[in-house]
Amino acid sequence: MSAYARPVEVLIDELGRLPGIGPKSAQRIAFHLLKVDTVDARRLADAIVAMKENVTFCERCYNVAEGANCAICTDPARDQSILCVVEEPKDIAALEKTGVFKGVYHVLLGVMNPLEGIGPENLKIRELALRVAAEDITEVILCTNPNLEGEMTAAFIASKVLAPFEVKVSRLASGLPVGGDLEYADELTLGRALEGRHGFS
Amino acid sequence: MLVTRLWLADFRSYERLELDLSSGLTAIAGPNGVGKTNLLEAIGLLATLKSFRGAPVESLVRRGAAAAVVRAEGIRDDRDVLIELELTRGRTRAQVNRQRLRRARDLLGALRVTVFAPDDLALVKEGPSRRREFLDDVLVALDPGADRVVGEVERTLRQRNALLRQGHGRLDAAGAMTLDVWDSKLAQAGQELTERREALVGELVPLVGESYEILAGRRSDVAAVYQRSWSQVTLADALAEGRRDDVRRGVSQAGPHRDELAVSLDGLASRTEASQGEQRTLALALRLSGHRLVTDRLGEAPLLLLDDVLSELDPNRAAALLANLPPGQSIITTASGLPPAPGGGELADQVLAFTAPGVLA
Repeated sequence: MSAYARPVEVLIDELGRLPGIGPKSAQRIAFHLLKVDTVDARRLADAIVAMKENVTFCERCYNVAEGANCAICTDPARDQSILCVVEEPKDIAALEKTGVFKGVYHVLLGVMNPLEGIGPENLKIRELALRVAAEDITEVILCTNPNLEGEMTAAFIASKVLAPFEVKVSRLASGLPVGGDLEYADELTLGRALEGRHGFS
Repeated sequence: MLVTRLWLADFRSYERLELDLSSGLTAIAGPNGVGKTNLLEAIGLLATLKSFRGAPVESLVRRGAAAAVVRAEGIRDDRDVLIELELTRGRTRAQVNRQRLRRARDLLGALRVTVFAPDDLALVKEGPSRRREFLDDVLVALDPGADRVVGEVERTLRQRNALLRQGHGRLDAAGAMTLDVWDSKLAQAGQELTERREALVGELVPLVGESYEILAGRRSDVAAVYQRSWSQVTLADALAEGRRDDVRRGVSQAGPHRDELAVSLDGLASRTEASQGEQRTLALALRLSGHRLVTDRLGEAPLLLLDDVLSELDPNRAAALLANLPPGQSIITTASGLPPAPGGGELADQVLAFTAPGVLA
């Protein structure tokens, strides 16, 4: 009982599997693509295929890369002694936008989540330990998300993985958005910001 | 907040409804199935963002409509307040004084309610989960921040149990390390929740006794004791000692999710030994004590919503309940009408009589 021609139906189905796209959005995108030039549609299709064929995960930090290592790992200007641990490659993009961090990264490709069957062995945690053992790393910053699973993953890495090594381990601070108003901050964030206050400089 | 006016649009059976409410006792009368409870449910929703009947929020939108709106106008601290909820499938949006709130959850605390519902009997008669839920509800009413601890414990337990089940009765060294991390979180959040509940029970106990005496018309020895599910000094110790057993059985056996609020009447466990009428009176006394504690602490009485409670009580106890309603605004639904006031005349300050679904006399 399909309402549309089969190829349209198939595309809506495929689009609907993407994160953040529900059935309505999938339908809208499919009908938009139906209207655009074949050239434009092919460009999109080629971009997807090219990404899948040419992009791999960096052998060192598991960021997305073109080739064996990612652009950050091969950049001689980066400080190789400071390591920032993130959940996903997209988190690197967010941190890079700050322009504050000059070190290198390590991507876990997920977080510990027993309900989804994800334990430390499914993440790039062993690889992290090997890096810390082999490379000249002095500080590890744990930048997992500040939710339960992210906190637990950070706690696991700090207490179980990095404890034997002589490295400084820190956790990303929680606090207030810059340019925001105190009165609009939720109590939890404001509470954390108070706990994490620092001296006036 | 005193609610003076209520609007409903496409909520449950109501296409449109608009009514004024008195600041004292309002009785909603009418035969079964005219939508009396739906009105209380709508008010409860504004306070807690959930249905006290346990209905999923999507199911509250009238069949065939895209969105339901519940809006209440009222007075708080001598100022007019307008709160609104718009329910669409999958999303709830809240406004205060026509300003959209960033998260619907921010509405919590604007309006507070205490609900007495017919299935409150389960609070005394059924298993401990209902009583834990009651304690947690009062904790959140007193301090919306308690919601965080309750949620953390629940989520941590779900993750820990999933981890325990994965081992199929065994735990390797790597699994043990992962469990350590979840245990330390459960130990911290679970201990905090337990201690908060214990402190709350300490405050509630004298009020439960007084409330029971008022309703039953006689002095009784009402005791409520919070029983931990572990005997070690800290939950961390309990989790460490119970680990082998937890792993073997695949469940977490110590923690606030296994604790009990044991209620007894004249030395007898009320869950198993009390008559149904006594259980009902005790359940009311528990709710009433929570209501009084919140009133005392916050300096403002929550709106009392009494859903069909009179039919379940004998005439003396029903009269005692109505005569001793705590001060503040109350709304009661009844199919059989209210008993006359002790001095004659109407007990309610306002009677809204439904003659047919959604139709007021």
